Amino acid sequence: MSNEVKGKITSVDREELEEISPADFFYRNKALAGFDNPVKATYTIIRELVENALDACEEARRLPEVLIVLERIQEKDSSSNVESEVPTELYSLSVRDNGTGLSPEEIPRAFGQVLVSSKYKLIQSRGTFGLGGTMALLYGQITTNMPFEITSSTGGRIHKITMKIDIQANRPIVLGEQILGASIEPFTEVKLHFRGSYSRAKPKIMDYLKQTAMITPYANIEFRDPDGSFYLFERNARELPSLPKESLPHPKGIDLELLQRILKGTKARRLASFLQTEFQKVGRKTALEILQRANLDPTLKPKKLTQEQISALFRAMTSYERFLPPDPSILSPLGEKLLMAGIKKELNPEFVWAVKRPPSSVWGHPFLVETAIAYGGDITPTGKVQLYRFANRIPLLYDASSDVSYLVAKRISWDVYGIKSLEEEPIALFVHVVSTKIPFKTVGKEFIANEPVLAKEIELGWRECGRRLKAYLSGKNRVKRAISRYIAFKRYYDVIASSIEELTGKRPAVEELLRKLTPATVEEGRC
Amino acid sequence: MTYKRLEVEKKILKIASKINQDVELGKFPKLEFPPNSASNIAFEEDVGYLFKPTYYTRVDGSHIKSVKTLAGLLYGMSRVVDHLKSGLTMTKRDFYYMHKVEKLKNTLFPKDQAETDSRIVQMELLLGMPREAFSIISDPRGWIYGDIELVDASGYTIRANRIGEMGYSIPPDPENIEFKRIGIKAVVAIEKVGPAKNMIELKIPEEYGLGIAILKGQPSRSMRRFLRMLSEQGVPIGILTDLSPWSIRIAATVIYNSISSAHIPGLAVPNAAFLGIETRDIEEGFFKDYQLALEDLTPLDIKAAKDNLKLPSLQGEFWQRENEWFLKRKKKAELEIFKAMSPSAKQLKELFVKYLREKIEEKLKVTI
Repeated sequence: MSNEVKGKITSVDREELEEISPADFFYRNKALAGFDNPVKATYTIIRELVENALDACEEARRLPEVLIVLERIQEKDSSSNVESEVPTELYSLSVRDNGTGLSPEEIPRAFGQVLVSSKYKLIQSRGTFGLGGTMALLYGQITTNMPFEITSSTGGRIHKITMKIDIQANRPIVLGEQILGASIEPFTEVKLHFRGSYSRAKPKIMDYLKQTAMITPYANIEFRDPDGSFYLFERNARELPSLPKESLPHPKGIDLELLQRILKGTKARRLASFLQTEFQKVGRKTALEILQRANLDPTLKPKKLTQEQISALFRAMTSYERFLPPDPSILSPLGEKLLMAGIKKELNPEFVWAVKRPPSSVWGHPFLVETAIAYGGDITPTGKVQLYRFANRIPLLYDASSDVSYLVAKRISWDVYGIKSLEEEPIALFVHVVSTKIPFKTVGKEFIANEPVLAKEIELGWRECGRRLKAYLSGKNRVKRAISRYIAFKRYYDVIASSIEELTGKRPAVEELLRKLTPATVEEGRC
Repeated sequence: MTYKRLEVEKKILKIASKINQDVELGKFPKLEFPPNSASNIAFEEDVGYLFKPTYYTRVDGSHIKSVKTLAGLLYGMSRVVDHLKSGLTMTKRDFYYMHKVEKLKNTLFPKDQAETDSRIVQMELLLGMPREAFSIISDPRGWIYGDIELVDASGYTIRANRIGEMGYSIPPDPENIEFKRIGIKAVVAIEKVGPAKNMIELKIPEEYGLGIAILKGQPSRSMRRFLRMLSEQGVPIGILTDLSPWSIRIAATVIYNSISSAHIPGLAVPNAAFLGIETRDIEEGFFKDYQLALEDLTPLDIKAAKDNLKLPSLQGEFWQRENEWFLKRKKKAELEIFKAMSPSAKQLKELFVKYLREKIEEKLKVTI
């Protein structure tokens, strides 16, 4: 989380700040994490736990089986709600995955503590806020004062641990531990209580699940809702995308705060070797050039730098122009095949094409864009641009019209590709951005900034899809024309046959002739 | 030039059988006929327009555009045979309505009559005979008044000066007319009903041995055919029209036939002579003192005169000279000019006779 807290914090400011635990920080800043109100919180809790579950399965290299059960424990809350006007209800939520499972020793730390890593490695991660489900558990605890339960097996005994989080101390409090038989299949199930509003959050939750199913076509996702409905998003692919790899940060991708933390934690004893070992794309020559620019002695001890020296180093690093771009091989795109599978599965289009663009970089982080276009089938015109956005394999559901991809969609002249209007035709656009740091525009992390490099990649991707669509549409028109031509022929030959019959008393067998007019394309076009 | 009903049917049946055979053999049927396009039409001063096919249209049943024509021709021929068999005629309008039927809704259902009219021309070209031969007739237009005895399809013997005040109405298909006796020295074919009617009323036909053919505008095909038949009987034919860019076309149509019906033989009357009104009648002749009665040319008239510059039938020296007068003077004269010369009925007969006598003498070498 720490690398998410932006802004320039000087040492003086830091001393004046009250020391609070990360858990306490989130408790005080719930809105930041998407818990502004009971409706949004209901959606966010499910979302955080589902993403956590998917991560667990993918890390275990297993095809995800995620079961979500939401139950209404108590209807309508009459007690006053300070945070919001929305009437809330008490729910229990359990989310189960088939990851590797956790041992009873690992569980308290994994779920009962807001973790701030001391390692500064870069990785493409799914979670919006890098918190896993802990924030969801925290929210449940805050709104109900009830403990939560983690049930898990690593392929043997099943342990159920009942626990709470000590918010001020940022520590797990284990309240009870039970053994519930054994399971050969490893799993983890998180169960918590919270106050929220499902009925009003439902449309968003369903959108989220549908789009998650789209971007994880290799997952089975089941959802049982409090109204007794059961939704199954069934997989149609059996291959997992590669796991993202960790890498060192790129010198262009850091902020001052992060630089200070890395300096504090490094094992390097000299500034020159610090730059070489803690960052990617920095060799000895580059390190010395940067230090020279910062007017710093390469033999200085990293841990002993003054604030002025740190600032000088930071300025030198960020203004240096000759770094190689960040290493893109650590990224894990979904791949064209899986993206198309996901779209087919959820939208059943008559045409779909996906294009993965080569990697590029923005803000010192590698990124790549996957785009797709789907046409027809279950997609029907809505009068709006149908744009599906994903970032690191999670759907983005809010503020579509502020997103860079929306701007790109609007600036492309689609008629070149046989589409007169995005709004009035059965066409859907898809964009998936993967990066070690998605260039979101706001802290809400719902839309991506209009970075020219990124915009260009999205445009190139869609244009390539567009060319495929155009070829498909013109082929489709060809088939259509062939069919209508055949029908016209048939009608005229009916007139010819009946006229000849009237003249000669015998109707010629025009059917034989018509069979000759049935080209392969016509037959194909019919099925 | 007469076509027997059975011959027409036989010709149609032959075409239908050939198509039937092609289809049975698994071949796409084809039809060929010469289109009445400019390249197939020639003009010769002493015979008029001539249909000289050098180029043929192929209607190929494997092409979507041709197949409509093919179906249209066959359907049209099936209607024609049906009417021929029951001895019934049909008009172009009838033929159009025969296409306004449910079963042709997605095929031959016409947008307008022009569509079926052009199909009729194609049938004429395919069968090589005028539509009257296969029972498609036009509304009759044109009369002949005078001492002519004939028998027509009705079977009655008719005297064209004893059959009402306008004379004998030319039937749609004059082909079957048989002349019994011709007691006239010449025929004057007159563009306008008014002056022609006056001549009949003034007993000019009886007193001077003339036939009066009333064209009523651009002469119908049946009228032209009838005049040709009279001409073939040795009757001199003179043409009397207004002096206008349109009227010289009327005269030329009688003499030379027209481009649109060039494929129909026997319509031109090359021996017919243009009597007037001529430009010299205005400038120095019969009407030279009556220039006040001339009418101005309208913009449409001027356009017609300009078009006349290119019309094959008007390329002769005489016609071009006449036409140039229109472009120069921007005036026209109408047959009603006789009424300007003599507002009183008394002198009218005298004027008519004087003019006709001069002209017939000069142009037809006939003295009346």
